[in-house]
Order: sequence, then structure tokens, then C-alpha cells
Amino acid sequence: MELNVNGQTYEVEVSADDLLLWVLRDTIGLTGTKFGCGIGVCGSCSVHIDGMVMRSCITPAAIAVGKTITTIEGLATVNDAGEEVLHPVQEAFIEHQVPQCSWCMSGQMMTAAAFLESNPTPNDDDIIAAMSNNTCRCGTYVRIRSAVARAAQIAEDRA
Amino acid sequence: MAKQPEQLSPEEQAAAAEKKARRAISRRRFLMVLGGGVGVLAVGAVLGGPTLVREARLAINQAFLTGAAPSGAPPKSPFVWFEITADNIAHLYIPKIEMGQGIHTALTQIAADELELDWAQIQVHQADSARGFDGDLMFTFGSTSVTAMYQPIREIAATLREMLRAEAAAQMGRTTTEMVAVGSAFEVSGAPETRIAYGKIITDKQGEWSIPGTVPALKANSDFRYIGTSAPRVDLREKVTGRAIYGYDVRVEGMVYGAVARPPRYGAKLKSATAGDAETQPGVIAVVIQDGFAGVIASARTQAQNAILHLALEWEGGTTISQAEIDSIVSVPAEGGTLIQRDGDVTSAANSKRIEARYRTPMAVHAQLEPQAAMATVTADSAVVYASTQAPGLTREKIALALKLDEAKIEIIPTYVGGAFGRKTGADVGVEAALLAKATGRPVHVGWTREEDMKYGYRRPPAANHLWATLDGEGNLTALHHGIASSDVLFNPEVGGGGFLETLLGADPLAAYGGLIHYNIPNRRVIYHTTRVPVPTAYWRGLGSFANTFASESFMDEIAFEAGIDPLEFRLRYKPEGDLGARYEAALTAASQLANWATPPAPGRGRGVAVTYDRGTVVALIVEVSGDEQRIRVHHAWCAVDPGLVINPDGAIAQVQGSIIMGISSALYERQVVENGMATNQNFNDYPLARMTDAPTIDVALLSSDDTPIGGMGEPVIGAVPAAISNAVFALMGLRLREMPFTLG
Repeated sequence: MELNVNGQTYEVEVSADDLLLWVLRDTIGLTGTKFGCGIGVCGSCSVHIDGMVMRSCITPAAIAVGKTITTIEGLATVNDAGEEVLHPVQEAFIEHQVPQCSWCMSGQMMTAAAFLESNPTPNDDDIIAAMSNNTCRCGTYVRIRSAVARAAQIAEDRA
Repeated sequence: MAKQPEQLSPEEQAAAAEKKARRAISRRRFLMVLGGGVGVLAVGAVLGGPTLVREARLAINQAFLTGAAPSGAPPKSPFVWFEITADNIAHLYIPKIEMGQGIHTALTQIAADELELDWAQIQVHQADSARGFDGDLMFTFGSTSVTAMYQPIREIAATLREMLRAEAAAQMGRTTTEMVAVGSAFEVSGAPETRIAYGKIITDKQGEWSIPGTVPALKANSDFRYIGTSAPRVDLREKVTGRAIYGYDVRVEGMVYGAVARPPRYGAKLKSATAGDAETQPGVIAVVIQDGFAGVIASARTQAQNAILHLALEWEGGTTISQAEIDSIVSVPAEGGTLIQRDGDVTSAANSKRIEARYRTPMAVHAQLEPQAAMATVTADSAVVYASTQAPGLTREKIALALKLDEAKIEIIPTYVGGAFGRKTGADVGVEAALLAKATGRPVHVGWTREEDMKYGYRRPPAANHLWATLDGEGNLTALHHGIASSDVLFNPEVGGGGFLETLLGADPLAAYGGLIHYNIPNRRVIYHTTRVPVPTAYWRGLGSFANTFASESFMDEIAFEAGIDPLEFRLRYKPEGDLGARYEAALTAASQLANWATPPAPGRGRGVAVTYDRGTVVALIVEVSGDEQRIRVHHAWCAVDPGLVINPDGAIAQVQGSIIMGISSALYERQVVENGMATNQNFNDYPLARMTDAPTIDVALLSSDDTPIGGMGEPVIGAVPAAISNAVFALMGLRLREMPFTLG
């Protein structure tokens, strides 16, 4: 099947029920998307499919055929000078020194990025509601909360 | 802030001098110049004395077997490794594992300060055995990395700086005293135009480098440029872009995926195993059955995991223990045990009021979000293993045993670790990848599923605590007894303990952590009871301090209530003697001020306090909770922490925040249950963890009662969390919670 990931087309030989997470990680080699639970609970594997946050560990790759997949590797952009420009969420997560081990952070940031697309000016309760289904065992929640708010501000400043 | 020398009394000066001397004597080091080549200067250093685990074991064995004094032969491993290349990049090889605690950043700050590096011209690398590092030195555990590495890294960095100074002076025809190090360069003092980068000095060097015979003078704390600042984490850019490589992410050409059969009961062994119809399953490359081990290799991970279910396996033995039996084994008996503290005589206080309580702490898993993972390539006489591990030395040792290969033939490349909390001291997955790779001659990656990790790792031991105390007629606390019953931490032979050590000590020192009574009470006694369950238990963040501090600090609250004294005031009244007491007082006072303890909380809220001394660090924690029949909520936490000199304040605060949230998670939700010899919780749907909705507002005060790092930061705070919560719930509703996880129903 043909998958479009981060603007690139990949022809992959996988069966219809193969899960997107393993196709991304093991077949294509994009290991930025992480495995945490395999049952769609922890959120470490979150990616965007046509802009929607999906848990790739329970999503068959076939569902994404003909759609646009974005992973953490595709969140940043490249400017005219060829330099990497971090997404506001990535920038804010560094600014607030959010990640500890960072295994959950791809999922956290993908969730936050999609959330801010739908709600560019969130209050604290909005952020907590949007982010409370992503688990972080290192316990960085306080910083995730502040960094998502900061990301909204960065996005606004850039606009 | 620490006092300046001139402010110290003669006694304090003498004590400080003695402390300094102890440090110097215990840290004899041998420097060596390694590598080199055109335009490269590499300096490593090895520690003298039996400081490494292997050397210590050797020395102890020699002493017991031959009666000889420990040899103290220096290990051959470098302790740290700096390499400065012609492009003026300082490559720092950090011999501790980055698992989220920020150790690569903190140790870089320490090195960069003495070496006067330009922060932008540093590249941090994980040390590995391929570069000659000793696996045991890389063992990252027990919140000890900064305290153990602080002094040696400074000395080695300063030595390298002085070598560069001498060479810079020679190249410029100046004296060394004229030269000033600044931003990865030397210049003549007051003449920035003379600046030569370290890389250039090294490139222009003629002849051999020589290493100074003595350790050069180290910077005064007031001159620190990086130590004590919140330098940004060196690993975050690659982490937020998804480029960082963890054990689960390692990919090499031609790799395949392995999965391993697991027993239905703890301790069960394979009685017989055949391939069944596994070999005909999709993607299967090979079935590997040998010596009680059965595994499958396939082209895809899920294919390997699927094929495992098609092996024909028969298991024998193992335990059928139930949770009720575990609960009954793990209780504090009236007699026996190993005495681990005795001050005065607890039985002396007759005609006193006696207070007594029992507490329980359940088994819990680490739930680090990256399950166990390793990638191995094995040939007839060598192996290279990438592993997400805290314990490269143990991993190497176990792989050597499994492959029957000399340890020297095995390279361990530690990767970034996606959470550990003690779980990644397990060498299990590295051994599995190595066995499968050896059997097929192809590089094999094994990554555990969540279910495997939750069921087949080891877990925080179940513990029970029994405390009693006596108050005299005036309400003075005259005696405190603490009985601890726990399953193993260190004595688990799988993680290196048991045997001789167990016979010698009698009490598992790591399960007993946090059990000692530091309060200044005339009569104190602590007894440890080994209550082993046939379920693997070992290291979990904080070790025994989680259970033992929960019990002892909840009990202090119970005594304070009986004595009719404010719980914070009560702790101050019985603060330890001497320096430690002063640190307790400072921490309690700071937390009290942060929380505004003197002002009662709003209606519907309760506040509780706990204080702990763990791994050299003093922690005072206050939390504020609300509660109804649905749930306990922690709204706010105020924490004062004194680990001595703090290398990176923001990193230290992150550890406090993380410890509090993990502590809340464990105290409110976590309990691993075993039935019929196997854990029943398998994944996060039946083992819930704290979410963002559980995270309180957290205020932190960092206190520094010493001018060097004297305590750890990764673990001490977590021990204080359960008691602070239970005490807050009591303050709110008069209900004593003596068993975790806490429920109000």
C-alpha cells in the first residue's frame, strides 16, 4: 500500500490489518512515534491522520491510505535557508524544559499541536481536558500544561 | 548559602578541613592521556581504590578467602573521557545513563565549568563499553550520579585545562600565570586579541602531552559559570524532534525481530518445548528452543509475538500464590527479625501511654513508558548489544554468561532510556536478544509488550510496617519502635544480591531504606523482617523509603495528634541532633512558609506534612487535599529540598515535580495483584496511572546547606508523598489511611 507520511510517499508491503505504529517505526523507520501500551490508553503513539489525532498502536495502516499522516518527525518545518523551524509546541516544550525521559513526548506534542489547531486560545481547563488522556510517567504534567499555553502564544506571535 | 570560611567557628573549620581531607584521600585517581592523533587530545581518568562494584567484590572476596588486605588495584576503565578536536568541539563522554533525570546536562555543567568551555562548543555523548568504560561505573541508580561524579569530574577537567594552559603559554611564549581560560580558548590576561581556541592549541602541539602530577586548584564556588545555573537540557532538541534513539528504536541493516515465551506462573520452568506450528506462521524465520528458553524470530515484531502463541510448551513448577497469601506472609511478626537501629531501650518507658499502628504498601510496577528493549548482533566470538538499560555492567555480565563469552568480547552500547525508575536494572531483554541473535546469526531486536513488562519484570516489594511509641505523663515522646517486613530489593539474586551478602547483613539494606529513625527521641529501635514472596521484587524509585517513610511519617502524625501538638511543630520538637537537625528545621520552616502553614486551609481542604532524610537529602513536603467518596485530590504541594549544592536548579525542580506526581499516582491508584502465581494487571487499563487531572500546583524551595552536592535528587522526594497525603486526609476528615492505594470508601 502507499502511505503519505510527512509529505513523502512510501510504498510499503504490509497487510491490511498491520498497525500503523509498527509500519511507521519498523517498516518505514520513523521511530519518533513511540510504543507505550498497544491498547490506545497511554497516547505515546499519537500521530495525525488528516490533522486528526489518532492512536497509531490500534489503527490499521490501511485506514491511512490516501490520507496525510504527520508524525513527530514532520512537525517541524524547514525555512528558505534550509534550517529547521520547530513547531510552536516543540519550541514551547524546550522553552519550558518539559521532557524528562521524553518517551511519551511525541504523543504529547502531537496531541497538543492538533488541539491548538482547533482551539488557538485555550484556557487552563481546555488544556487539561485536551491533554488528560496522555500519560507521562515522569510526571511532567505541570510543565506540559504551561508549555501548551506558551505554545498558543508562540503560534499567535508568529501569525 | 553556605558560610564563608571566616564565619566559621574553630570547630566548624576543623570539621570542614577533615571533610575535605576525607574527600581527597578517598578519591585517589590516575589520569591517563588516551587516543590523541592529529589535532585530538583525549583525557580519561581512572579511579584508584576499590570503588567500582567489580573491584569491590574482588577485594572483599580476596580479603575473605586469603585474609589479605584488599588489593586496591585500579580498574582499567576510564572514569570520564574528554576529547577536544581540531574544530574546537569538546566531546564529553558521560558515564551515566540519561533516563530523563537530566544527568547528561548536570555532569556537562560540572565539566564545562572547570574546563571553561563555551557551551555552544560542547557535544555530549553517552559513554559505552566500546570506548572502554566499565559497565558497573555506568550503573545509574540510587540518586548518586552527581554526588559521586562531582569531585572527580572537576579534578579531571581542571587537569585538562592546566595541560592546555601550559601548552598555550608555551606556544605564545608567555608564562602560565598570564594565561586566562575563557570560552574554550586561552588568552593573555587583558588581551582578548591573543585568544587561541583549545582546538588550535591542540593542533599546534608538538610532542607528547604530559599530565600534571597533582590535581590543580579548583574554582571557588563564587566563580562558577555553569554550576548552579539552570542550563537547558542538552538532549531536548533531539527528543522533541523525534530523533533521539532509545533501546526500542535501534535499527541496523538486516535486523529481524524476536519474541520469547513466558511462563504462566512465576518460577515455572519449561518442561518441554517444540515448535508446534510456529514455524509455519507468517514471517517466521526461526524457532529457537534451548536450555529452558523458547523464542521466535520473524521479519516483523507482531509476527514474532504472534508465533510465540503457536509454540507447543509445557511448563512445570512455579508458584500458585494468591494475593491473600502474599498479604498474610508480608506482615510484621511479634518476634525475630534483624536489629538495624538501637538507641537507648524502647522497653524502658513504663507507665506511659502507648500508641500503635500498622501500615501496608502494595506491590507496584515501574510502568516506565518504554518497555524493555535491546538489539543484539552476535558472532562466534563477539557481541554488540544496544540496550535501554540503567545497568550496562550487569547486562554485560548476564549476556556473557548466556553466550558463554568473555565479557571483554561484548560491547554494551547504552541508548537513551525511556523511563526506568529501577526497572531498567533488569538485564532480561539484552540476554534474550543476544540468545536469539546467536542462534540465527542475524541482528535481533527484542522489544517487550506492555503486558510482558507489567507481568514479567520485577516489582516494588510488598511491605508491612508496625510502629509503636510511648508518651510520658507530660506528653513527651519517649520511645519509638519501627518493625519493617518487606520482600527483597537487593537480595533478589537477579539484580546482583543474595547469597553471602544476605547472610552477612540479615536485613536487605535497600528494602530497609528510609526505615531508620532520625528524630531525637531517647529510645529508638528498628527491626527488619525478611518476608520473601515467590514473586520477583526489586528496585523501584525510592526503594524502601516509599513504604517506610509512608509508615513512619504517618505515624509521627498519629503521635502528634495524641500529644495534642501541631504536626509540623511536633516534628521540629523532635528534630535530629546536630547538622541534620538544623537541615530538618530549615526545610520544615521553608515548606511551612511556602504553604503558609500557620493560616488554616479553606473549608473542604486539609493539609498534611511529611519530612524525610534520604540519600543525603532532606525533604519537607506539605500537601493540600480535598476528598469525597469519589476520590482524593491533591490540589497543591509545597516542597523544600536540601541536597546541598544544586548543579541545575530547574532540573532539580523537575525531579521534585516528577517525584510528587509519581508519588501521588502510586499512593492513590497503584497496586499490582497476583493470583494463581501471576500478576493479574497487564496493561494501563487495569493499572491506571496519574493523569494531568491529578497534577497539583507545585511550589519548590531549593535549600543548599553545603557548598558541594551532598544528596541525591531523583528519589528522596517520593518517599514523603504518601504520608503527606494520608496526613492531609486525616486533617481534613479525621480518617487514618494506613494502606495504599488510598481509598475513602
